[in-house]
Formats: sequence, structure tokens, C-alpha cells
Amino acid sequence: MPHSYEEEEENFLRSEKSSKVFRRLVGEILSHRRDSGVLITAVIITAIAGTLYPLALGFAINGVINKNFTDLFIYSAAFLGFYIIQFFSNRIRTVSSTGVAQKTIKELRDRAFTSIQKVPVSFFGKVKTGYLISRITNDAETLSEFLTFQIPQVISGISTVIVSISIMFYLDFTLTLYALIVIPLLSGFTLSIQNKVRRNYLGTRRTIAAITGNLAENISGIRAIKSFNVEERMAMNFDKLNSDNFAANLKAARLSSFYGSIIRVIEATGIAIVLLAGAQQLFANAISIGILVTFVIYVQEFFDPVTQLSQLYNSYQSSMVGVTRIYGIIDSPSEESISRGSIKIEKFNESIRFENVSFSYGKTMALKNISIQINKGEKIGIVGHTGAGKTTFSNLLLKFFSPSSGRIYVDGKDLTDIETESYRKLIAPVLQEPFMFRGTILDNIRTFSPEASDEFIIGKAKEFGLYPLFENLESGLESEIGEMGRNLSEGQRQAISLLRAFIRNPEILIMDEPTSQIDPYSEKLIISSLGAFLKDKTLILITHRFSLISLVDRAVSFEEGQKVEEGSFSDLLKSNGVFRKMYNIQHNTDT
Amino acid sequence: MNFTINMSKRIKNIIAVLYPLYFGSRYLKGKRWILYSVICISIITAGTRLLIPVLIGDAVSSVQSLNFKRLEYFAILILFISAISGFFQFFVNYGSQYISQLYAYGMRNNIFEHLMKKKFLFFENQTSGDLLSRSTMDVEGTRVFIMNATNQLLPTLFMILFSLIFLFILDPLYALIFLVTVPVLILIGVTFQRKQRVHWRRIRSYYGNMNEELQENIVGNRVVRGFSIEGEETTKFNSTTKSYFDEYMIVARIRGFHNNLMPLTISIAATAILLYGGYVSIINASQVGNLVAAVNIFSIMTFPISSLGRLIVFSENARASIQRINMVLSDEMQEDIQSTRRSKHSGDLLINNISFTRGKRQIFSGVNLRISQGEIVGITGKTASGKSAFVNLLPRFYEPDTGSILIGGRDVSSIPLSELRRTIALVPQEITLLSGTILENITLSDTSLSLEAVVKAARIAVIDKFIESLPDKYDTRVGERGITLSGGQRQRVAIARAIVSEPKILILDDATSSVDPETELEILKRIRKELSGTTVLIVTHRKSAIKFADRILRIQNGSVEDIFDLEEDLKGIVDGANLYRGGDENATQL
Repeated sequence: MPHSYEEEEENFLRSEKSSKVFRRLVGEILSHRRDSGVLITAVIITAIAGTLYPLALGFAINGVINKNFTDLFIYSAAFLGFYIIQFFSNRIRTVSSTGVAQKTIKELRDRAFTSIQKVPVSFFGKVKTGYLISRITNDAETLSEFLTFQIPQVISGISTVIVSISIMFYLDFTLTLYALIVIPLLSGFTLSIQNKVRRNYLGTRRTIAAITGNLAENISGIRAIKSFNVEERMAMNFDKLNSDNFAANLKAARLSSFYGSIIRVIEATGIAIVLLAGAQQLFANAISIGILVTFVIYVQEFFDPVTQLSQLYNSYQSSMVGVTRIYGIIDSPSEESISRGSIKIEKFNESIRFENVSFSYGKTMALKNISIQINKGEKIGIVGHTGAGKTTFSNLLLKFFSPSSGRIYVDGKDLTDIETESYRKLIAPVLQEPFMFRGTILDNIRTFSPEASDEFIIGKAKEFGLYPLFENLESGLESEIGEMGRNLSEGQRQAISLLRAFIRNPEILIMDEPTSQIDPYSEKLIISSLGAFLKDKTLILITHRFSLISLVDRAVSFEEGQKVEEGSFSDLLKSNGVFRKMYNIQHNTDT
Repeated sequence: MNFTINMSKRIKNIIAVLYPLYFGSRYLKGKRWILYSVICISIITAGTRLLIPVLIGDAVSSVQSLNFKRLEYFAILILFISAISGFFQFFVNYGSQYISQLYAYGMRNNIFEHLMKKKFLFFENQTSGDLLSRSTMDVEGTRVFIMNATNQLLPTLFMILFSLIFLFILDPLYALIFLVTVPVLILIGVTFQRKQRVHWRRIRSYYGNMNEELQENIVGNRVVRGFSIEGEETTKFNSTTKSYFDEYMIVARIRGFHNNLMPLTISIAATAILLYGGYVSIINASQVGNLVAAVNIFSIMTFPISSLGRLIVFSENARASIQRINMVLSDEMQEDIQSTRRSKHSGDLLINNISFTRGKRQIFSGVNLRISQGEIVGITGKTASGKSAFVNLLPRFYEPDTGSILIGGRDVSSIPLSELRRTIALVPQEITLLSGTILENITLSDTSLSLEAVVKAARIAVIDKFIESLPDKYDTRVGERGITLSGGQRQRVAIARAIVSEPKILILDDATSSVDPETELEILKRIRKELSGTTVLIVTHRKSAIKFADRILRIQNGSVEDIFDLEEDLKGIVDGANLYRGGDENATQL
């Protein structure tokens, strides 16, 4: 049972991992020494200037009371001066905080992407595409708010509190103690509601995740919904999830609004205390009126960072969850660390040999004890029913997976010792599910053979009988193909996939059901043109259809993961096995 | 002249900042009074908040005049006014959340209902990720602005107004100094907005590219690896993230300047007041209370004003979101799904002279055809010849340009969709199951169906044995939180789902492409046996399936024609050269 998004998040927040992840993140941020240095300096300067201006104001007021013009001018100038300093340091802070945040995010994204290029193919069977995409885009984005605004705010809040309390103690010890009376009240109140805040926050996340999931499913399943005319029922289901989310958000809003109001009352209490205690000090001649004004402003300024605290908490939680997931992707063990290959091969000389190869996905055995030898230049067909292990065989051949037991030798060298990239350069695969990138059909072919010119590609398309398949498109091979090749038929997608492989002109061609969606008329044309192309090439053809079998010298039948027959077409047809049975079904019916 | 036009354009720009609030208010369904109340209450909180610096000034004056009784009075008054302010602030904060969440709730439902009403064609031209982000991110984008507009933007505007009034009472010249800053602040705000707009647009588009590149790379990972182009892919992705980063930095520089210019402007005015007020106080030997109050008002105003820039960015994003939401909410491409009638029509099919174009491409012209109830018809034709388009015309997923399609003698365009789609069940090649149990998926059309009927349909679709082999049988969960079915299994569940609704016309649009030929044939046999009287259209180019049909149609060059002798037609083109050497005569009958 896969863990849902929200379960995972709840588990994470309960555990102690978030502080570890936070430390790792901070380490990475600090590795941008210059930027983070500039940022911290700018934040501290801003905070200090921000704490000093009330002092200047206090002295200016004292100047007024003492009828001292010079003091008034000097301290007013200082007052403005601190603001000007803040203007410049804040500018630097804005730019450098964005710089640090976006640089960190870019690196996380790039590293996650690189990691995805290196993970074993089996990784994609376990993790959903949507999950990976939203980790790298959304989750990284939540970090933006946290790093750009919240972290500098914390640094600035801490420096403000430290500097202002020091100044206050310096100015008047007793009055400072009075001013700080509200602090325990404030922190006690803030801490007491943290648990509730966290629960509310999880509630809102859980309900919004349910909404997104339901929507995604309804959009992808729209065809069935329309076919059975159950649109209204689906809308009712959605409304229920939507109401849950509404309720969860209101619950969270009630608490945060209550918090905001109480904070304001605590602030006023602080001011009143300072005024009353300040008056006593004033009458005792311990302080001047200016200093009292300064104190009042300090108390007010304490509260700005505090009111941001609840926002900080949510932002911290959601970004730590997000970052943990991105680290999860970055830290996924790469293929190379599983099967490090170092031998480079430049040419295929002799043979590919499977020796007692077995493979299992989890508990289910997909291939059992397969031994096959494929010699250079040979054309071999692998046939069998769905689920017989044909595609697993091609996955092993392409080194997408490594055998669970047994060995594969290429020219006598163990495939796991051969450098993956150099090996794959010898091969061109035509996979069962042809995959299309955005762009034109020509772009889709050129991505894999950057040196091929338009004319060359068109020439090849004609040569292999694939060109007519695209004639119905408005701009032929220059047509845009839309998301995932949606503007094309399945057959056209397969044709592109074939062309990609043919243009690569590989030594070994591996084709997995390459023409299953192409009509028999066009298929015939393709087959007849392949004869010359395949001369001197090694072909491994996987199919449960017989249309292409004329291309092979020898066929191997698979059943339930085992090799059950091997021989030439006519040999196999004479024996009474799977091959013959499949053949009959495809050519006869008992209507 | 030019100046006036410019001015009116500027004023429009300023008012447009609030447009998303107006837009949102239209979706509050009878709860708009809450919005108005929140706005009224926020006037009170703005007033009471600014009263506090004034009271502090009075308190300082009492201190200066050594009047302790008066000081006590002001201290208590400050506490009291703050309590009132805090009390009302609760309603502003909660009310703004309430309004904005109500908007999000209503808008999501609204979008969902509109999506359900859209024609099928609409979904073919939209990417699912895009539709999803309109219904979630874009709704959230507008919601955040609506919330901030009611609890920050409007209160800030009211506070500016109150500042002017209070400053005027303290000293008219204070108010004048403040008044001068207002146009400066607006000018800064407007320039800021104008300068960053284009960059935000680019950031959004790079974000979209990032998404697309990721999706392609992940879904196509085998192709990428098979051809070892990982390096090129990484370079491409890194350059997209680099562009994204660069745009962000440009925005940061613009924000760094303009956003901090606002508090600086305020503080210049505060200094002016300090100098002027201080000077006057010294000359007149008056009390400093008023001066303290005025400067304090400024210091309170600095924070809300410096967040104005951020609110302008929110408004900008919200307006972009509204544009995208409106595309879904428009009435275009809608079909009428509402009708409670569930009666079915007969499976006689008559097609009169239909033509159909997609984009600029003519797919059919002048097609005439009659299919009688109970016929099993195979439809074949070259890749991309329009087989799928043809069958999609029947349940009106697509509509012909000219001509008519009659079912049971009635024109499909005059049959309510609820009836038409009960009559015709179309099973496509690519199947998405909804998350839930297998039973829930099969009974999608009607939740009141008996388990017996479901089991029977599953048996016809040759999926019964598989389902019964699962631990929870028909209650096994599939989808997001359940087991993953293979393509062939999904296709067979979808066939069962169609059969159980007892359609008069069953269309299998390459619906068994991932099922092996043996099972496929078994499904067809059971359909023939159990569903007699149902018209069945089978789109395929598998020969074994075509041969099973009573009648074969071929779609070619925009027309549909009968093939009477398949063997003759396929002679010389089928299944490899060996076919005629050792095939048919040895074939065992199945």
C-alpha cells in the first residue's frame, strides 16, 4: 500500500528529521559564501539602523524640550540618516536574499534532474511522474518564500531584539525590566497554541491534496465520465471534498485571527506599563521624556517580528517537507553505484550471450534461467504471449535492469562491467511505447541524431516507406506534434520511433512490438524496405505478432518467463508448441 | 491633452489593482454582505489603530506637564482602545479569510461544473496539467489577493486617510507634508508594477517550460537512456532553470529599489515634520505631545506602506490568474449534460452524407452507411485514416460538419446526451480508471447495479477470474492508493464497465490492443453469445478480430466502404512471406 502524500507529511512532521534537513539546507546556503555573507551583513545593518532611529528620535525630542536647536538638527539628521542607511542595506538585502534563495532552488532542481538521469530505470516503476514533477517544481518553489522572506526576517528579528534590549538596558535598567514584563506573556501564549496551529495546518494540507487528486483524476478520466453521463455525480463528490477544505481553512483562520488580536492587546499592555513606569522614573528624574518616547517605540517594534511568527512556522514546515522530498530524489542511489561499468566498447564484434539469466520484479519472477546466444549479424525473433517475459528480456538487453542471477556477456565481457553509455551507443531501440517530445516531427528525430539534416530525414522516411504515413498531416514532417504526441495517431508515433532508430544506423537494432499500431498495408512496405538496411546488422525483434517474422533467421518462444522453443520459422511451425498455437489464432477464427 | 489621457490611463491602472476583489465578490452568492461588513469594520480598526499614537502623544504631554492623573487616564485609554481595536481586528482577519475561502470554494465548484460541461474536444486541446493548475493554483492566486486586499490593502488605504485627518487635527501643516507623499507613493507603486509585469510573465512561462521538460524527460526516460542523450537533456534543463533564475534576479533588483523607496519617502516626510514641529515647539514653547504623536503615526505607517509593493505583485498575479480562469468559465465548447431521461434507443444506425474536418484536414466527405441492430461490424483502415474519429461521431464526442446520424430513426443531435450516451457505450484504447474499488469502477454508469450483473459483465470481458484471484475480489482498490492494473487488465475492466450498462450499441475503439489475441477472441465470442441484439462496432487492425465480424468496413481516403472478401483484399500484404508456405492448411480450428 503506497503511502499517501498526507500520511507521509504527518509522519515526517512527527519525527525529528526536520531539524536535520534544515541543518543540511543551511549548510548548502552558507556554501554560497559571498552571497550569504552579503545577505547577513545587510540584514544586520538594516536591523541595527532600524533600532537606532528611535534613539535619534528620542534625543531630537529632548532637544526640543531643552530648546536646543543644534540637538534637534543633529538628531533629526541622524534620524533620516538611519533611514537612508536602511534604504541601501534593504536594497542589498532584497537582491541578495532573492539571489541566495533562487540559487539554492536552482541547484536543488538541477541536482534532482541530474539524479533522475542516473537512477536505475526501475525507479520510475515505483515513483509516479506527477509526484516527481511536483517535487522539483512546486516543492522547490515553496522554499522561495521561506528563504527570500522568512529567514532574513528571523535574522533581522533576532538582531533587532538583541540590539534594542541592549540599548534599553544601557538607557535605563529598571524601565527595561518593566518593558520586558510582557515577553513571557507573549511567548507563553505563542507556544501554547503551537500544537493546534500544526494540527490545523495539516488539516488544510490534507484537504487541498484531496482536491487536487480528485481533480487530476476527473480530468484524465473525463472520457469515461462523459461516456456514462455521470458528470453531476462527480460534481457532487467534488463538492464534498471542497467543503472539507473550506471548513479546515476556516478552522485555521479562526485561530490565527484570534492570535493576531490577542497579540495586539498584549502590545498595548506593554505600552501602558512602560508609560506608567516611565512616568515614575521621569518624576524620579532617572530618564528624560525623549527616552520614554524611545522606549514606547521599542516596545511597538518588538511585536512586528512576533506577529510574523505564526507565518514563519507554516512556511518552515511546508518547506522542510518539500526539501526533504527533493533530497530524497537527489540522494536516490544512481545506476552506476549499483552496477559500475568501466570497460568502454566501441564496436560489437562477436556475440551477446545470456547465461542462466533470471530476473524478478519484487516477488514475481519475470524471467527464469534464460540462456541464449545471439551472434553478430544474426536476426533473431522473440515471441510469446503478453506477460511471457519478452519486454523484460529487452530491458535486460538494454541494460535498463541487471539480472537477478546469471550473466549477460557482450563479446565475452560481462555487461555489468561495460560502461553503459558506450554500450548504448552501439544500439538503437524501438520501444513498445513510442515517446514523443514537444516540437515538430523532424525535431523529434533530430534530438537523437543532431547532425541529420531535414532532407536526410525526409529521404530516409521515404526509403523506409514511412513517409506516406505522415501525408495526411497539414505540414507533413514539419507538423507540431503537441503534448506527448497527442496530435498523432499511435501508428504515426510508432513510425517516428522507427525512424529515430533507423537514422541512428546502429550495429544492434532492438525492436519491441515496433509495428503493432501500424496497419498491415503500411507494415508491408516497411518490411520490404528493411531487408537491405538490416544487412550486416544484428536484429533482436520482440513481438507477439507474426507480421515481421519474415525478417528473422531464428525465433525463440517464451512462456511464463521461460524459453520453451528455439528454431527456424518452419521448424517451430511444425512442432506443436506455443509458436504454432499463436500463429493459428492470428490466422484463423471459427466464425 | 496627452497628459490627461496619460493621467486617466494611470488612474485606471491604479483602480485595476483592486479588480480581483471585484471579480471575487461576484462569486460570494448571497454572502456579499460579509465583505461589506469586513470593509466597514476595517475602517474602525484603521481609526482605532491610529488613535493610539495620538493618545501616546497626549500621554507624553501629560508627563511633560507632570500631570500623573492624566497620564494614568491616557494609559488606561490606550489599553481600552487597543482592546477595541484587537476585538475588531479579529473580525477583519477572520472575515477576510472567510470571504477568500468562500470565494475559493465557490470558484472551484464553479470551475469543476464548467469542466464537466465542456465538450470532449475541449480536453483534447488542453493539457491536463494546465487545466489542473487553473483550478488549483490560479484559484489560490486570486484567493490570496482577495484576502490581502481585505485585511491589508484596504485597511492601509483607510489608515492613510485617517493619518491625514489626525495629522490635520494635530497641525494642518503636518497633514500637508503627508499629503505631498501620497502622489509620490502612488507613482512609485505604478512604476514598480509596470516595470516588473513583463518579467513575471516570463517567470511563469519558464516555470511552464520547466514542468514540460521534466515531464517529457521522466515519461520518456527509456528513450532518453536508450539513445544516451542524458547529457543534452541536462544541458537543456539547466539552461531553463538559469533563465528562470535570471528573470527572478531582475525582478529582485526592481523590487529592491522601488519597494524600499516607499518607506524612505515616508521617513523623509517624518523628518520634515520632526524639524518643522520641533522648530515650532521650541519657538512657541509648546508641548511636544503633538510632535511625538505625528512622528509616531509615521512610524506606524511605514510597515503597511512598505508592504504595498508586495500587494501590487499579488494583484498582478491575481489578474493573470483571472484571465486563465475565465477561459474555463466561458460558455464556449459546452454541451448540455443535464437531463434525467435515461431511456434507450434502438441500435439501428443510419448515416446520411456526413462530412467531418479536424483543423484544416478533411477526414470524411459524403459518407452514407446503414448498420442494422445486432450486427457485429469490424472497422479497419490505414493508420490515421480516421477510424477513431468515425466512431467518436456517434456518441457526439465529435460533431460532423454536414449530414446526419440517425439512431433508431432519430437524429442524434435531437436526442438528449444523457439518452444518447446510455444508448451507445464507447470503449477507447487508453483507459483511465478512477480511484476506488473495481466494483465502483464497473458500476460507474449506475451505482444501483447488482453484483450479479457486474460479475456477468466481468465474465464476458474475461476479467472475472483475475478479479476473483485478488484478495478483496471486486472490492479491491485501484488507482492512486490501490493496486496498479496492467494495460490489458484496465482495458478489460473498461469493457465490463461498458457491457454492464447494457448499451444498444457497443463500440470497441481498439479497446483490446493490450490484450493478447487469444483472450481478445474469447471476449468477442462471449459478446456475440451474451449480447445478441446489441450492435457492436470493433475498430482494429488485428486480422483475427476483423475476421470475427459479420461485416467489415474499411475507411480510406475519407470514405467508408464494405469489404466483402477479406482474404482477397489482404492477399499479398499480410503477415510475412511464410504465411503461404506452411500456414493455413495446418491450422487447427479453435
